[in-house]
Amino acid sequence: MDRERFERRLTVLLAVIGGMLAVLAIRLWQIQIVQGEYYLRLAEENRIRVTSITAPRGQIRDRQGRSLTLNRPAFTVSLVPTELRHPELVIPEVARRLGMSPQEVAARLAAIPDRPYEPVRVRRDVPKEAIAALEENRMDLPGVLVQVEPVRDYLFGPLAAHLLGYLGEIGDRELQTLRSRGYDAGDLIGKDGIERIYDGYLKGRNGQVQEEVDAQGRPLKRLATVPPTSGDIVDLGIDLDVQKAAEEGLGPRLGAVIAMDPRDGTIVALVSHPAFDPNRFATGIPVKEWDRLLHDPQQPLLDRAIQGGYPMGSVFKIVTATAALELGLVQANSWFNCPGYYALGSRIFHDHEEHGALNFVEAIAKSCNVVFWTLARPVGPDNLAKYARMYELGQTTGIDLLQESAGVIPDPDWKQRVWQQMWFPGDTLNTAVGQGYVLATPMQVARLLAAVANGGTLVTPHLVTRISSPDGRLLLRLAPPPSGQIHLSARTMGALRAGLEAVVTRGTAASIQIPGLTVAGKTGTAENPHGIPHAWFAGYAPIDHPTLVVVALVENVGYGAEFAVPIVQRVLQAAFGTGQPGAPHPGPAPAGGTRPDDTHP
Amino acid sequence: MSAALTGPPLPIPTGPGRFLRQVDLPLLGTTLALAAFGLIMVYSSTHVSAHPFLYVRSQALHLAVGMVVGGLLLAVDYRTFASGARVLYVANLLLLAAVLVVGRTSLGAQRWIALGPLGQFQPSELAKIVIVITLAKHLTDRPGPYRSVWELMPFLGHIALPILLIFRQPDLGTALVYGAIFAGMLYAGGARRRDLAVIGAGGLLLVPALWHVLKDYQRRRLLAFLHPTLDPLGAGYGIIQSKIAVGSGLLWGKGLFAGTQGVLRFVPEHHTDFIFSVVGEELGFVGSVALLGLFLLWLARGVRVATVARDRFGALAAVGIVSMVAFHVFVNVGMTVGMMPITGIPLPFISYGGSALMTMIWATALLLNIGMRYQKAGIEFDASPAVPVRVIRMRGRSERLEE
Repeated sequence: MDRERFERRLTVLLAVIGGMLAVLAIRLWQIQIVQGEYYLRLAEENRIRVTSITAPRGQIRDRQGRSLTLNRPAFTVSLVPTELRHPELVIPEVARRLGMSPQEVAARLAAIPDRPYEPVRVRRDVPKEAIAALEENRMDLPGVLVQVEPVRDYLFGPLAAHLLGYLGEIGDRELQTLRSRGYDAGDLIGKDGIERIYDGYLKGRNGQVQEEVDAQGRPLKRLATVPPTSGDIVDLGIDLDVQKAAEEGLGPRLGAVIAMDPRDGTIVALVSHPAFDPNRFATGIPVKEWDRLLHDPQQPLLDRAIQGGYPMGSVFKIVTATAALELGLVQANSWFNCPGYYALGSRIFHDHEEHGALNFVEAIAKSCNVVFWTLARPVGPDNLAKYARMYELGQTTGIDLLQESAGVIPDPDWKQRVWQQMWFPGDTLNTAVGQGYVLATPMQVARLLAAVANGGTLVTPHLVTRISSPDGRLLLRLAPPPSGQIHLSARTMGALRAGLEAVVTRGTAASIQIPGLTVAGKTGTAENPHGIPHAWFAGYAPIDHPTLVVVALVENVGYGAEFAVPIVQRVLQAAFGTGQPGAPHPGPAPAGGTRPDDTHP
Repeated sequence: MSAALTGPPLPIPTGPGRFLRQVDLPLLGTTLALAAFGLIMVYSSTHVSAHPFLYVRSQALHLAVGMVVGGLLLAVDYRTFASGARVLYVANLLLLAAVLVVGRTSLGAQRWIALGPLGQFQPSELAKIVIVITLAKHLTDRPGPYRSVWELMPFLGHIALPILLIFRQPDLGTALVYGAIFAGMLYAGGARRRDLAVIGAGGLLLVPALWHVLKDYQRRRLLAFLHPTLDPLGAGYGIIQSKIAVGSGLLWGKGLFAGTQGVLRFVPEHHTDFIFSVVGEELGFVGSVALLGLFLLWLARGVRVATVARDRFGALAAVGIVSMVAFHVFVNVGMTVGMMPITGIPLPFISYGGSALMTMIWATALLLNIGMRYQKAGIEFDASPAVPVRVIRMRGRSERLEE
């Protein structure tokens, strides 16, 4: 290219640059000279206010589409730092009306310094009377803002509190990582349970209003509005009726109840008592009340169903029986004699009863300790641990809840490592009947029973079955794959199931009588260092094609047969409908369910 | 310097002194004026705090370091950079890739590399100069004429790689600066207008696809610009507040240091990307236009350097630098007055930010370097190399010597 053409092009380039700068100068003339007075007024009076509109949180529904949570409108009182002209007068007055101390109010103002033009929430869910008083004195209270915000309403109070979780104001550290995902200071965020794990879906998207306000803070003109977007709907596998039956069955006692579909791990009911009322958290829980919950010796915040590690008691005999059967040490019709005690060297282990002559199935049915002690030695501690781990005891189930406990399955190595002690033959005997060091969560027990019920699939328990947008579009269907498959011989499986059926038909859980429904299961009475034994029952129904596993654990009450079995019976009645043979069970079908309502008394 | 001793047709007398006498004084003066203006504005926008000199001291330090290094750069014949273009290009890509791996995250983007006591360094700033140099060399090696759009593809590929890396950081604004550099240099380099238009149209067609790649905050900023009323999370708020600040300056402004108390705390990042809002508020229309005038003077001198440059490489490098600075000024001021989306492009010489300031100083040094080694070589560009003849022969490029 010749130099002349190059210089021509440079001239064009310079002209373009000059043109661009001229455009900027014209624009400056426009906003500084033509509209300057307008902007100057805006600047001096600083009259733009930005308020966010809290998005209604998504609903959580049971499998039939019944809401467990809703939102109710409530008043929120905020302060706008830039409009607060006489903080020394306004803050004490606001504090008095809201029943707070001026220091508390000032601390909330100080916590959020980076955007002084945005309102800082002082208190949510303020009673109407206080709002009326504030509105009356509005002229004397510049910088005070009253807004209506949706507040989470847990319709059934403490029902299913542990799985639903609760809300709390977003913390500084959370905010740092979440700000880019649309979270803001002062937002409420799920702190536990479904509310926490699925917060990203439930939260929705806050809207915003930009408006010009006058000196008293009264809106003059809306500059812009972005409506909020409601959070997504989370559907659970929980059946409200079954959940209620489980809650009532457990009553005021401490413990946990789980109902689960053994075919895919969908949780139908999950109870832990004592519970708490998540409504207390929905607007930010007072510190005192939080402390009380945290330090309550009964630990209401602990989800016993997944975080409590308990000795399994005789429920563990399912594992011992599996090991003995698979190792060929015993068959369904092997005969034993139970004199009511077992001698290990000079030590005598006493059974609760003298069963006399009985076969292996009867031994399971009657929960004869002598038989299992007899089998414990040839099976050995390593095989006990191996088969327990095969059922994935001693590891978390992967349920969609937080801080699940893994429990403990002991073996000689473990004892040496943790206790720096030798494994004694007595430890083997204890382990074989679920005592000693064995610890499991009710959820692990539920999965163990599910594996027996479904032929060996280790399902992944899960609460949420699907998530859909507020307008009903399906966003996500959750069906986590099983975490494993165990292969037992048909003979082993047959003997196990025969034993568990015999428990209900003529054994320790013979009190379960539900016309038209066949049930199998295992009781447990777990001795523990805290006093009276824990009562267990873990069962499934119906026996030919199981669709529900129910596990009940009651802390420190006594026999499983006496205390846990009635709870399971009640749950089964609720799930299958009393006296209605073949009533369709709450299958994995999603909300809107296949089950007609008249099956629920 | 060895470079000064070679270059066959150089007039006598030789030596560094001759070049220093040829330094473009208006350009140097304008640069110093802009830098001083910048220091004052940085002070003005940050002095209301517990440490009033914190920012301005850091800015002055970077300015000093930048000028010392820039002065040393003057001593090296700019054609030396041309011969090292390949190495520079690769090193540049590696540095940009390194940001993605070890970079510090801030405001949702990864742009910085920590340099211990020297603070943080933003490679994408320095990369702008490197791209100018390597693209100028590339255009010199393939001098055209470019008869179709396909003949421009090698150059498009040349900038596509670094753009891609910067986009991943993500830094939309800097990626656009590369586009401006590309357009300016190819236009000056002789590409046909319609071919450039085709590439520009292609870029526009890519926009819907890019939309999916953009980070959420970038989309919001773009949307907030396109619909100022649609303002999800404050992106439009910045624009409105910035316009209020600038507009309230009126003709003469509120006076230096007088604007920071009232309005500016509402303007986000008012000492960096939005520093022009401080200028607008405190110095008014007169001060704002005066600053634009300074930029115009600087850019005009830059274009002059391009016209007097002794070779195609120097001329195109000068055009690249001019395009870069012009784009910065236009987009940054445009953003402050609500004409452009918020892209995070700083105002050259003025905005607070060490990497950007030093980059601009070194870009100026490169311009001065090209300008002071000018030589009217007649109608065509001089093609003589900067490095001694012997070296070239050893590299086996003897064909050049026959010219």
